[in-house]
Amino acid sequence: MEAVSKRYPGTLAVDRVDLGVNAGEVHALMGENGAGKSTLMKILSGTFNDYDGLIRIGGQTVTLHSPAEAKEHGVGMVHQELSLARPISIAENVLAGRLPANRWGLIQRKALFEEARQWLEYVGLALDPRKAVGEISPHEAQLVEIAKVLSNKPCILVLDEPTSSLSREETARLFDIIRDLKRRGLAIVYISHHLPEVFEIADRVTVLRDGRNMGTLSIAEATPQKLVQMMAGQTIDEFYAARHPEIGDTVLRAVHLTRRAYFHDVSFALRRGETLGLAGLSGSGRTELARSLCGLDPLHYGTVALHGGIIQPGDYARAVSKGLVYLTEDRKADGLFLRLPVSQNLVAALTARHSTMGLCRPAKDAAVAQRLFTTLHVVAPSPEVDAGTLSGGNQQKVLLAKWLATKPHVLILDEPTRGVDVTAKRQIHEAILGLTAQGTAVLLISSDLPELVGMSDRVLVMRQGRLIGEMQRQELSEEAVLLAANGHYAFRTPDTVTSNTGRGAVRPAASLQEQGRP
Amino acid sequence: MNTQTTSSSKRSAARTALETAGIYAVAATLLVAGVLASPDFLTAENLLSILSGVALLGMVACGMAFITYSGNMADLSLPTTMAFSGIIAVASLSLGIVPALLLGVLAGLAIGAMNGLVVGKLNANPILWTLAVAFFMEGFMRFTWSNNQLYPEIEPGTPGAAFIGIFRLRTGPVPLIVLVMLALFAVAHLVMTRTRFGRESRLVGSSRAAARSSGIRVSRVVFFNFLAAAFAASVAGIFLTSMNKLGVFYLGQGYDFKAVTAVVIGGVMLSGGRGHIPGVFGGVLVIGLLTNIMTFLGITAFRQNIVTGLVFIAVVGFQQYQLRARGKDYA
Ligand SMILES: Nc1ncnc2c1ncn2[C@@H]1O[C@H](COP(=O)(O)OP(=O)(O)OP(=O)(O)O)[C@@H](O)[C@H]1O
Ligand SMILES: [Mg+2]
Repeated sequence: MEAVSKRYPGTLAVDRVDLGVNAGEVHALMGENGAGKSTLMKILSGTFNDYDGLIRIGGQTVTLHSPAEAKEHGVGMVHQELSLARPISIAENVLAGRLPANRWGLIQRKALFEEARQWLEYVGLALDPRKAVGEISPHEAQLVEIAKVLSNKPCILVLDEPTSSLSREETARLFDIIRDLKRRGLAIVYISHHLPEVFEIADRVTVLRDGRNMGTLSIAEATPQKLVQMMAGQTIDEFYAARHPEIGDTVLRAVHLTRRAYFHDVSFALRRGETLGLAGLSGSGRTELARSLCGLDPLHYGTVALHGGIIQPGDYARAVSKGLVYLTEDRKADGLFLRLPVSQNLVAALTARHSTMGLCRPAKDAAVAQRLFTTLHVVAPSPEVDAGTLSGGNQQKVLLAKWLATKPHVLILDEPTRGVDVTAKRQIHEAILGLTAQGTAVLLISSDLPELVGMSDRVLVMRQGRLIGEMQRQELSEEAVLLAANGHYAFRTPDTVTSNTGRGAVRPAASLQEQGRP
Repeated sequence: MNTQTTSSSKRSAARTALETAGIYAVAATLLVAGVLASPDFLTAENLLSILSGVALLGMVACGMAFITYSGNMADLSLPTTMAFSGIIAVASLSLGIVPALLLGVLAGLAIGAMNGLVVGKLNANPILWTLAVAFFMEGFMRFTWSNNQLYPEIEPGTPGAAFIGIFRLRTGPVPLIVLVMLALFAVAHLVMTRTRFGRESRLVGSSRAAARSSGIRVSRVVFFNFLAAAFAASVAGIFLTSMNKLGVFYLGQGYDFKAVTAVVIGGVMLSGGRGHIPGVFGGVLVIGLLTNIMTFLGITAFRQNIVTGLVFIAVVGFQQYQLRARGKDYA
């Protein structure tokens, strides 16, 4: 790509960027949120018909004005925001556009499902390809998306933050696939905010800042400090301050929570000012537990008490008004109002609080929105642009700000820093610390182990839908949490869970097998 | 900080004004075209008759706007709601004029409440569900009144005569129906821009899932949107019945499509969450002007329907094109 540019109304997102990617190379693309990484790669995958500059593939100059043209030239891209059709089966999504048909144009279902199954297997997913995409969780959808792109047999593969929703195991599996593809001579562009990943997989790194190319380094010459310096213009170390939380009385008490096929007999207590981590492999039921706990999803058995008052199962609106809120892990599906201005997204959870006798108060809304917009350093031309025009990381900041503004008693965070750059992650962590200092209790779900370990005062470990134990601050390390999530950790204090809740004994790790995986 | 705040709300106000300006520009063009078509066009009398001509449509469109805005596309049961309100009002005239009108409106609200419950709580597809309700209500009305038309008594001094009179009431030269329409538009505008309900309708219309996980009671919001639409439709239905001097199941036919057309050319996105009431009023005016000019030109009613249909197709196509041109691949 030579001198490629792309302008959105109000932003020059990509500014005369040169980028060369060789066959058989993994080329990492890094940069802060809104730097233009996704836009640059969307140009390559034929999203826009109005970019400037020259693109050459295999020595040949090409125009890529539609996804079909890009596909023809062998470009395959896994987008940051997933683009699967939710009501359709996985198989049809994976093989969309190339459904195996017989002589009369009828779809050969057997062949379809068989081929789809093979692709799923290749990316390490043991899912029934007949299932609808709407029923699977984001990390599975991410892998399905990868399978879909690979099934087109691209010669240039673009992966835009593919690991942001994947677990460690899935990431490792993805890296094996990438290495395999590299050996077969594919050119691979890999976008990520995770430095360790980049050092593990990439051969060269290109850094973008404000839409401009800040330079390309081979992985041998790159160091984390150098890269961060190039991205942010200053050095920031990933470092978690020692915690001195003031932990108070119990705010939230969950007793014997059960949702059949998802989680079983979970009891715990959460105290004022505390950050309680929830660890577990993907599929262990953490998200499901959180969603049922606050009333977004059904709860079959058990009670949730907030300040001693029972939270009615299935009544999320009531839970929010009482200060029990949940930050969703899937900002596109049920997080943001993509077609509304950022300002309205920021105050969307405040409609009740910002109204007197049914009348709303636009001035108050605007003031709060403006304050949040500046304090979280959202990168956008103004708070009045649509949330959908923001870069992925900035969307995440808006989503978080929406809940921070409600000053909740209990804040459940499900992957709060997904897709967020190093600087923004730091800001988000500071915002969370600020809230806990004011007494908010946080339940933190994160597949980012350094974050989970660095931010939590205690960690509960879930496995196959059950709570198997609890780890105190001094026991916490990435290795220990990982072992525990895999069921290989001897909990020092298995009884604390029980004693914390007062009632409801939690069964120890022994009785896991009976529970079928969801 | 404060200046920033006002400037950003000013900016969104400016955007609103700009979006509405389009439809009024079309209305102005039509006015000019009307003057060219006939010298009698620009008389106060004709302009008032245009307004009274669209008054009932205006009321229905005003209600329909709530449905579209909250992301439920269209309520296809509004025509039968109109007819039903009229029939119930006529049938209960023996109780006196005021109870009859109240019962008529209540009958309409009952349909709205049912729609609101089913779509809001049970997540039924609004188009399919209201289509089914329209079908059912038509059959129900035919069966109950065994295909008979209901004529109110027209002896002077009876409630029947009063009922027939309400369509023809005027204050000075201005018909009551025009005033009622304007009042409905004014109230609807305030509700949408100034109330929590209006705000929440917008959020629900933009994304039901995101609204739910922002702690908004989506089913309640949807319920009241259907109720608002049914209210506007039953008021219009009672006037329509009064105008026709009879209550019968087919009154109101065609109002659903025309109302959606007015709403959509007024700039309310079919996908929900975008648009505003002044635009809808502009859309109603444009339809009124178009009809009036075509009548002046001697175009028959059936051909006029063709034109309305074409306008609808053109506008929806244009909205889609605009979305794509702005690169709203996320929309
Ligand atoms: N559809 C759009 N309309 C207008 N502006 C947009 C649109 N999409 C992106 N932008 C703007 O273009 C710039 C670059 O965005 P881009 O998505 O490429 O960032 P990114 O580097 O991928 O960031 P992230 O790490 O957060 O994903 C941002 O300032 C963003 O606000
Ligand atoms: Mg991006």
